[in-house]
Amino acid sequence: MPPPHRVHELPGGARLVVESMPERQSTSVVLMFGAGSRLEDDRLAGVSHFIEHLYFKGTKRRPSSKEIADAIEGVGGFINASTDKELTAYWARVPSEHMELGLDVLFDIIANSKLDPADIERERMVILDELRMYQDQPQDLVQNLFEELIWPGHPLGRDIAGTEESVSRLTRDDILEYADAHYRLPNLVIGAAGMLDENATLAVVRNRLSLRADPDGALAVAPPTPLESPRVLVRRRETEQAHICLGVRAFSYMHPDRYALDLLNTVLGEGMSSRLFLSIRERLALAYDVHSFTQKHRDTGYLGVYIGVDPKKAVDAVNAAMVELRGLSESEVLPDELARAKEFTKGRLRLELETTNGVAFWLTYQELLLGEIKTIDEELDLVEAVTAEDIKRIAREVLSGPMQMSVIGPFARDSAFRLAVGA
Amino acid sequence: MPGRDPHSGAAVRIRKAIALVNSVADEAGDEEITPTEIAEAIRDCLELTDVDSVPNVRRYLGEALDAVSDGMPADFVAMTLYAALGALREGSPD
Repeated sequence: MPPPHRVHELPGGARLVVESMPERQSTSVVLMFGAGSRLEDDRLAGVSHFIEHLYFKGTKRRPSSKEIADAIEGVGGFINASTDKELTAYWARVPSEHMELGLDVLFDIIANSKLDPADIERERMVILDELRMYQDQPQDLVQNLFEELIWPGHPLGRDIAGTEESVSRLTRDDILEYADAHYRLPNLVIGAAGMLDENATLAVVRNRLSLRADPDGALAVAPPTPLESPRVLVRRRETEQAHICLGVRAFSYMHPDRYALDLLNTVLGEGMSSRLFLSIRERLALAYDVHSFTQKHRDTGYLGVYIGVDPKKAVDAVNAAMVELRGLSESEVLPDELARAKEFTKGRLRLELETTNGVAFWLTYQELLLGEIKTIDEELDLVEAVTAEDIKRIAREVLSGPMQMSVIGPFARDSAFRLAVGA
Repeated sequence: MPGRDPHSGAAVRIRKAIALVNSVADEAGDEEITPTEIAEAIRDCLELTDVDSVPNVRRYLGEALDAVSDGMPADFVAMTLYAALGALREGSPD
């Protein structure tokens, strides 16, 4: 049976991925560039995110942010964008008969934005406020600090929005230079999913490929260097609760064991039947919020645990989390745990792909970053094929790496935390 | 017959030290508790041999004693004692 999606190579090296979902009322379109914060050096830190904000400020045809928003919201649609470490995505979800409008607005903002100097200054203030706001949100800040430890001195370890220093210094020329280097057709994948006519979509896209067609001249980005030893970073704040992130380097999204890692993460700390939740919250009553998470990039990734805890119980909770982590590499997960984790993972994926937006992002992301697209059935089969032995094997591999831990709370020194993770 | 916890003696003494420190942290007690009394309670824990039978319990207690000597806040001392108690718990049979 042929896959439900089709990939079209376009002039200039861009690609279009289309999936017809004829029973839907909406169509979602995504323009995704392989340009994110890991491509930025320290001087340009935050420029990808800055550009994404600026592209909503006005074009020659739609001179203000209001006109851009009105064009889509006027037909009941949604328009937004997001910047990540390896990509930037602009998207719109519109009633199907307005698919051409959605694509027209998105191509307009990425190719014809004015980048008015006054808009740049206004947006700079907004982003600086955003960066300061994160400083006041310990749950976010502790994860940023953790990523600094996991990828020290590497752009992946930096906040996507950059630093106050870099954002303050970025010039209009910096922004134009970066956009010109990375917003090119070979670096673009367009996704469309919903009630659409494939040929009509192709024609609309073909007429709007005005970006430069030559490959960008940016240098390949080096992978992060290996971590040598466990480290602990304690940021003293007089908070009511301690916020802790601990974890290890793990797999990239290209790694064949990434499905086993996802299931390990589910068993460990996804949801209220996970080991961390049952042990640290329910049995020991140490923490209100405890969960685990992963992040994956082209050549690296991590497995992390977040704990929000009464400061007095902070080290005890870390020790309890370490016991659960060690347990995964010492014995195989139980058959019912594995079965539950698989159902959870497969169910979440299927729910994600219920919407046209979910499907458009899923296809575009795979084509851009992986260079190939798996169908949902292929993906579900790979999840189903993971065994308890696989999880134990990868737990041993991943958890043998040096533990990194960031802590925010009213702590005068870090020795007890160091002891807990052997740093 | 339930099994006897081999570390219960140490656990009881650590809990007493935690209660002492918490009464300072919460400013709950009528009498003023001095750092010397807290240090004495932690030394009582260190005298028990079963603190050596579980990894890190002695080291956490040592950290707590250092924290008292260095004038660290009571909450910080309590945190380190809770860590010792937790390590003891993890080292106990189920």
